[in-house]
Amino acid sequence: MAERADDRLVRLLGIVAYLDGAGPVGVDELARQFGVTSERIRQDIDALWVSGTPGYMPDDLIDFDAYSLEEGLVSLTQGRGLTRPLRLGTREAVALVAALRAMHTTPAVQADTERAAVVASALDKLTAATGEAAQAVDVRLGGVGDARLLGVLAHAVAAGRRVRLRYVDAADTVSERDVDPVRLVTQDDATYLVGWCYRAVGRRTFRVDRVLAAVPTGEAVQVRDVDGDVDVFAQVAAEAGQSAQVAVLRLASPARWVAEEVPVESVTDLPDGSFEVRLRVTNPAWLRRLLLTNAPDVLAVEPRDVAEEVADAAREALAAADLPELG
Amino acid sequence: MAGDDAAGDPPTRPDERLLNLVIALVNTSAAMTKQQVRSGVHGYDGAPSTEAFERMFERDKDTLRALGVPIVTVEGSGHSEEVGYRIDNEAYALPPVDLTPAELGVVSLAAQLWSDKTLRTDMSRAMTKLAAAGAADAAGDAVAGLTPRLRAAGDAYGPLLEAVSERRVATFRYRAANTGQVRTRTVEPWRIAARGGAWYVIGHDRDREATRVFRLSRIDGRVRVGAAPGAFTIPDRVDVDAALGAHVGAERTALLAVVPERAPALRARAGESAGAVPRAPQGRDVVAVRFRSMTALADEVAGYGAAVVALEPAELRAEVRRRLTAAAGLDGRSLDGAETGSTDRAGERHG
Repeated sequence: MAERADDRLVRLLGIVAYLDGAGPVGVDELARQFGVTSERIRQDIDALWVSGTPGYMPDDLIDFDAYSLEEGLVSLTQGRGLTRPLRLGTREAVALVAALRAMHTTPAVQADTERAAVVASALDKLTAATGEAAQAVDVRLGGVGDARLLGVLAHAVAAGRRVRLRYVDAADTVSERDVDPVRLVTQDDATYLVGWCYRAVGRRTFRVDRVLAAVPTGEAVQVRDVDGDVDVFAQVAAEAGQSAQVAVLRLASPARWVAEEVPVESVTDLPDGSFEVRLRVTNPAWLRRLLLTNAPDVLAVEPRDVAEEVADAAREALAAADLPELG
Repeated sequence: MAGDDAAGDPPTRPDERLLNLVIALVNTSAAMTKQQVRSGVHGYDGAPSTEAFERMFERDKDTLRALGVPIVTVEGSGHSEEVGYRIDNEAYALPPVDLTPAELGVVSLAAQLWSDKTLRTDMSRAMTKLAAAGAADAAGDAVAGLTPRLRAAGDAYGPLLEAVSERRVATFRYRAANTGQVRTRTVEPWRIAARGGAWYVIGHDRDREATRVFRLSRIDGRVRVGAAPGAFTIPDRVDVDAALGAHVGAERTALLAVVPERAPALRARAGESAGAVPRAPQGRDVVAVRFRSMTALADEVAGYGAAVVALEPAELRAEVRRRLTAAAGLDGRSLDGAETGSTDRAGERHG
């Protein structure tokens, strides 16, 4: 795929500035520094070599030592005034600083003072270099977390130690399981532990706010090919796609967030401002909870047995609340 | 395969034309006029007409400015009436950043946060510039095993960021949450924010003459950005959380009656205020939970059904009851005979 002109320009300018500061550098090292292939770097050098100030006579051009290049070493001999690194544009500064600020507030970072200090110092240095523009975007990640528990999990991930979890699932069932932790993923409002679960004999994702206790077992994790770099919501959606049970909810407009946040198959807007979502049910307990919680905005539910089950649960709960000692 | 299909002499690639323009404007002694650019800078000679050249040059200036290249205009002086252009060499350079390998590791990790292509592009350019400034190899130890990730902001992000950065008015069609009606809104945007996985823009709604919060996913179609920059001022202090209603007052304590063995996730958050806890009713345990958001706690309690009963405060009891009463009627409604008309949900605050 063709590279965008502005992306390449930033790298072309960057290569000259970098070489001016670093001195002669190997092609492969330069490729690593800029995160591209050595082939790309050679094409970049070729482009730089014929660029310069109007006139474009030999003395007007950016120049490299040709002998060194034959040996794979890039040595800048004339930078034509491009020797300083280009400052960040507004959009770049915003993306960079907002991401670091967001990271700094995540419970997984806050759980470890050393880690929080590194993020804070990176943020300070970059804010100083970018100025006020970066205020335009303000991002927070992760809810409140149990700092001690997150500390245990973060340490287990970093040190590669197995942990024994007490975990409660969406159906309010508690289980105990040994897990080889792979990553802590902070996604939107929650933190998840991704790991190899010995009870399920497979990769599992655990919501950290449902982890009741985590204790290191003293064993090292076994090396497994577990892809820890998961998008939690994409994964839920993928699993949902395999479920045979379909539910349709008609919701009033204030429950619009369901269409936005739950992996639904389709959304149909209705003329009165209400809408219908169609979703696949992987976890009946989760759906029951969703309906109980949002019932004031739920206009109708299919299939009927789901509606009946939720209504029964609600009547039971109302009866419990009406008992004299609780009422 | 892309770009190789031009017949005859291939035109200079845009990236190489931009590079030559930067070199020319960095090295010019005073300034270059458009005519000098057209006749002198490699890549512009191919423009078939003055009009085509002008379009090309304007676009290139916009591209360079967006990348942070400070192109300044110089009014014509003395013998020349024509406006000239040069690059402000003072403003060009990135101030020294000097990130340690551990800090650079943090920055690389933070780059994974964004899901949007546009934000990822902005971020990778920033990384290239840091690399050019000599940033060393990143060390990931400080943040090993962490992945931050945020849901995509969507197409509205780009134009809204431009509007906030340059203080231009933004106009868009918006689906109000409480009515479902789509209306055109004219907004002076102050901040783009993400909380709880949702993206918002906060600003002054010109028609409502008040501060308003808009959820980006409820913007219908394109965001149009006004032509005039500096069209308003952004208040010195914009409290995003206050505008979003995230700080719904001080922390309070709720008392819940929980069936033994149930709701361990709630119990895990239970406070230590055991002294004030009344006698356990109906064989249940009384659990004291600290909370800030009434809505969130009422949702959570209602979700447990009969396993958790709210005891205090009274407002929580009422909120839970409202949810359960509605849920108890769910089996009386079907999709074809569904009641219509919107319900009134307390606490709705967006838009």
